[in-house]
Amino acid sequence: MAGNAMASRVENDRVLVLERVFDAPRDLVFKMFKEAEHLRHWWGPRGWEVTFCEVDFRPGGVWHYCFKCMDPNQGDFYGMESWGKGVYKEIAEPEMFVYTDYFSDAEGNANEAMPSTDITMEFVDLGGGRTKLISRSEYVSAETLKTVMDMGMLQGITETWDRLEERLYEVN
Amino acid sequence: MSGTNSSIELATLSALAEPNRMAIVELLRDGPLTVGDIAERLGLRQPQASKHLKVLSDNGMVKVTADANRRYYSLRPEPFQALNRWVDSFRRVMEDRFDNLERYLQELQDKDRSKPES
Repeated sequence: MAGNAMASRVENDRVLVLERVFDAPRDLVFKMFKEAEHLRHWWGPRGWEVTFCEVDFRPGGVWHYCFKCMDPNQGDFYGMESWGKGVYKEIAEPEMFVYTDYFSDAEGNANEAMPSTDITMEFVDLGGGRTKLISRSEYVSAETLKTVMDMGMLQGITETWDRLEERLYEVN
Repeated sequence: MSGTNSSIELATLSALAEPNRMAIVELLRDGPLTVGDIAERLGLRQPQASKHLKVLSDNGMVKVTADANRRYYSLRPEPFQALNRWVDSFRRVMEDRFDNLERYLQELQDKDRSKPES
């Protein structure tokens, strides 16, 4: 299995779009997102294990999850738990669903200080048992973060700072 | 999402939530300025500009460098780099997940194929 490469791009300056083709029929790929017993197997990032996962897959329903870092090579993250909460906004099985992703605590309270993200997952049937998954993430609650991203992902800040240093040395 | 919500990023986000402070950061991207320059360009009174600069400075986003008789405000890159990493971490997390999902789907389908028809 060589693996299909992920494509990514930014739309409208603040929507992060990720695309990936899977060699599996659409119904099956969709099922991986709506059933907790499946999510447990793959939702954790590399080195992180899903230790809690509850799904109420309907509009307004809550998806509450936790993953824990099991990889000693990840330094400070090792042993750290990260709780997240999704609230489903719209479901059109098996074509797409939309949810808002929050940082949360173990009780499922959203952390309002951190930005929430509106995520749309779209499943495109490519035929021949292949499915294209398109994920669109839009940062919604932190106006700031949008602005930060609009600023061009902050490239160039360091250069500006370096130029300043030079200038000040010249002045002194 | 990943467990990267360190305090520096929270401080950065909350300090930038005020529009004048965001405007100051945008101005400073082009180079260092004095409080007088900043007040003038944003149409603020100088004490107001000083107040916002103090918040930004308390949050480690701005630093002051004194030249003979002038004080220049400039951006410190660290908090912005931290924010940038945070945004980027989201992309990497999703990529990890999709890699896992691909493997998992493969396993499921292989298992299915080796199972006798029921």
